Amino acid sequence: MTPFILLELQPVFVWLYNLLKKIGLSGSWLTIVSYAGLSLIVFGLLSVVALFLVWWERKVSGHVQQRYGPMRNGWHGWYQTLMDGVKLLLKEDVKVVTRDKAVFFWAPIIAFVAAFVPYVVIPFGKGLIVADLNIGILYILAVTTFMVISLLMAGWGSHNKYALLGGMRSAAQVVSYEVPMVASILTVIVFSGSLSMVDIVNVQSGLFFNWFIFRLPFGPIAFMVYITAATAEANRTPFDIPEAEQELVAGYNVEYSGMKFAMFFLAEFINMFTVGAIATTLFLGGWHGVILPSWLWFFVKTLLVVFLLMLFRWTYPRLRVDQLMGFAWKFLIPVAFANLVLAGWMKYARWYW
Amino acid sequence: MGKLRTEEFIVNMGPHHPSTHGVCRLMLTMDGERVVNVEPYIGYLHRAIEKICENRTYPQCIPLMDRFEYVTAMSCDYAFSLAVEKLAQIEVPERAEYLRVIMLELNRIASHLLFYATTAMDIGAVTPFLYGFRERELIIDLFEMTCGQRLTYNYIRIGGVSRDILPEFVPKCREALNIIKGKLSDYQGLLNENPIWKARTKGIGVMSQELAVAYGVSGPNLRATGIKFDLRKDDPYSIYDHFDFDIPIGQNGDVFDRYLLRLREIEQAIKIIEQALDGIPEGEYKTKIPFRFKPPAGEVYSRIENSRGEMGLYILSDGSTKPVRVKARGSSYNHLQVLPEVAKDCLIADLVATFASFDIIMPEVDR
Amino acid sequence: MTKDELKDYIDTHYQDKMKFLDTGRFDLMYEVTKENLLEVSKALRDDENLKFDFLCNLGGADTREHFEVIYSIASVTKRLRLDFKVVFPYDQAEIESVQEIWPAANWYERETWELFGIQIKNHGNLKLFLLPDDWDQGYPMRKDWDAPDFIRMPEL
Repeated sequence: MTPFILLELQPVFVWLYNLLKKIGLSGSWLTIVSYAGLSLIVFGLLSVVALFLVWWERKVSGHVQQRYGPMRNGWHGWYQTLMDGVKLLLKEDVKVVTRDKAVFFWAPIIAFVAAFVPYVVIPFGKGLIVADLNIGILYILAVTTFMVISLLMAGWGSHNKYALLGGMRSAAQVVSYEVPMVASILTVIVFSGSLSMVDIVNVQSGLFFNWFIFRLPFGPIAFMVYITAATAEANRTPFDIPEAEQELVAGYNVEYSGMKFAMFFLAEFINMFTVGAIATTLFLGGWHGVILPSWLWFFVKTLLVVFLLMLFRWTYPRLRVDQLMGFAWKFLIPVAFANLVLAGWMKYARWYW
Repeated sequence: MGKLRTEEFIVNMGPHHPSTHGVCRLMLTMDGERVVNVEPYIGYLHRAIEKICENRTYPQCIPLMDRFEYVTAMSCDYAFSLAVEKLAQIEVPERAEYLRVIMLELNRIASHLLFYATTAMDIGAVTPFLYGFRERELIIDLFEMTCGQRLTYNYIRIGGVSRDILPEFVPKCREALNIIKGKLSDYQGLLNENPIWKARTKGIGVMSQELAVAYGVSGPNLRATGIKFDLRKDDPYSIYDHFDFDIPIGQNGDVFDRYLLRLREIEQAIKIIEQALDGIPEGEYKTKIPFRFKPPAGEVYSRIENSRGEMGLYILSDGSTKPVRVKARGSSYNHLQVLPEVAKDCLIADLVATFASFDIIMPEVDR
Repeated sequence: MTKDELKDYIDTHYQDKMKFLDTGRFDLMYEVTKENLLEVSKALRDDENLKFDFLCNLGGADTREHFEVIYSIASVTKRLRLDFKVVFPYDQAEIESVQEIWPAANWYERETWELFGIQIKNHGNLKLFLLPDDWDQGYPMRKDWDAPDFIRMPEL
């Protein structure tokens, strides 16, 4: 037993819950207050994580390009993102001449909210989960498609022919890459036998060979398919047609300025973290690990996956739209489904450990 | 259920571009995703250089010719000086010729590095942009050491060069060339075998040999189609016949060939500079020309191999201190003219890649 | 062929259509009349020994006595270079287009029209090119063109 085990956070939350009971809340009030508190804690944590990720992307991109990135605002520029946020708040909120003002107004808000909602079922550590729904991963898949709605709303509400085209094209991309993503997640579910995130993590307990990524032959394939499909979901290079359209015709968020743009921007980074969190939970063993506390392992693994995504962005050129869709429909989907069939057959024939 | 009515619409790829091609406006007529027609609108950078040259003496025209194509300003200076030297039959000392060749080839490397940086960025890979410019800094530091300027040099004058090189130029130049040689394999390793890069550049923007010659395309764009034509070997000027170098050619005339060809040309340019550095003779660096320089009456058209292609200068002189007509011919003018033919029926992303691979610099088009 | 051989070849085969001028200081310079322009250009391009298929340069010039249009052509396969010009007075400022023969001439002729005012027959696309779309101040490259902010430098 090493001293680090003492840093597990579950006892802290149990103590807080008992404190609330002692104060006198009971019944539904207790449920509401405890869930609201947990959600606020997760929201606050994720906001900090988003700011950290923006800073980290700039440092990673700088070092890949053999330069330093932000260096002036604090030690190695750590509060650069806060300053950028302040600048965006002070920017003029450009009013778009459109009849559908409500659509234009709500699109960034929906994107922002849809980015945070999946975190209700993500296990941050041992016993650290807001709500252990027994349909955990299905809930996440259902909720992440809200992003598509916000893209289409942004494209439509901008009252701009090219923003609409860009929005529709990115919606097509996101929808087509949902299919291989779901197929690769199903591969994991076949083996865990349950949709609940906590159960999926528990199946990977023990030695790290139990992690799904090491369960050959379907594990690595499913992981790679998931990472590719999720990069496309998050609109990152090499699939960043919606963002790169700004070179020529407008992307879906060209008419947004100031805080509205900041919401889209932060939503993208939270999405990236979601991709990492799901990959960690499903494939990399969740919060399992030796010596360090479980929540620290979770963050280390997630940030590793996010780092991988950032390296993709700064290394590869961009795919053309028809090549992107061809890649999804002609290559990824057959591979993902073949993998799923293989996994199903292996489970049926009990050829696994 | 009749046929769906589709309509072509016009997209304006406006004067401002994210990468440094310059200010060029392309009106695209599009049918859905496909580009049906491209019509370039130029003139945003027209500075009337030719008209101003008619009002300046011959040595005063050289800083103007720097701005004719500022990415390879040494070549522009040299083209003008060569034309005047042919007109007036001026002998240039050998040391000056060696220095000129070194500067021209260094400028060629710098220009091709800029091409690599901006083309990769247009196709989506942002990191090579930083790599290309980092190497370009080494060369520009050499230029700054020699003539004090980073972009528009005013160094190659009529009759020679404007000042001699410093003693530390030669070792620093060798060091810079060694660094660039090492990094070239990095650049090629990053993109050459990358499947995304190959999917975006192979078979895109193909230009046939007949089209290229008919439209006056020259330089690496012509060599990528397979025609082995380089003015340094086919119509030699200066002392290029003293050096031993190859002319790389491509096979298909697509974007990938044009990109790879320019990287190979960097290697050949390094070879030339190393040979030149080994053999710089001692001597004068400039022939003295009179203050009121009056070449004899006559006309001359001289052409050199710029990084982009053939740069030509036509000078008509009537024996006075100012030229009667200076016509500067830049290769990007012809390349922009052939762009609508090459980019028929392609997607927008292909058009962006093709436009980037032609290495068009707008000041050459607009003058 | 060397320059002398080229001169001999052209003098024997084209002597009535191309007149040798002495003003070329490096390459050969010929003069062609307006009527013979298309015929001579086509012959130069199609001649098996010459094959001048590459148009290097096409531009107008305004010597103070007359207009000139100079053509610089080259051969990609055989290493040959030639210049020729067409001379005409100020009041007959029009010329045939050679874009059928060398398609590269299209933009060059458009620019010549725009800056000098030399009309090009059979061009098909004479629109303003380098100058702004609302330009109404004449043809700038002519020697007698003036503008309030065009300052002539003093003779040295």
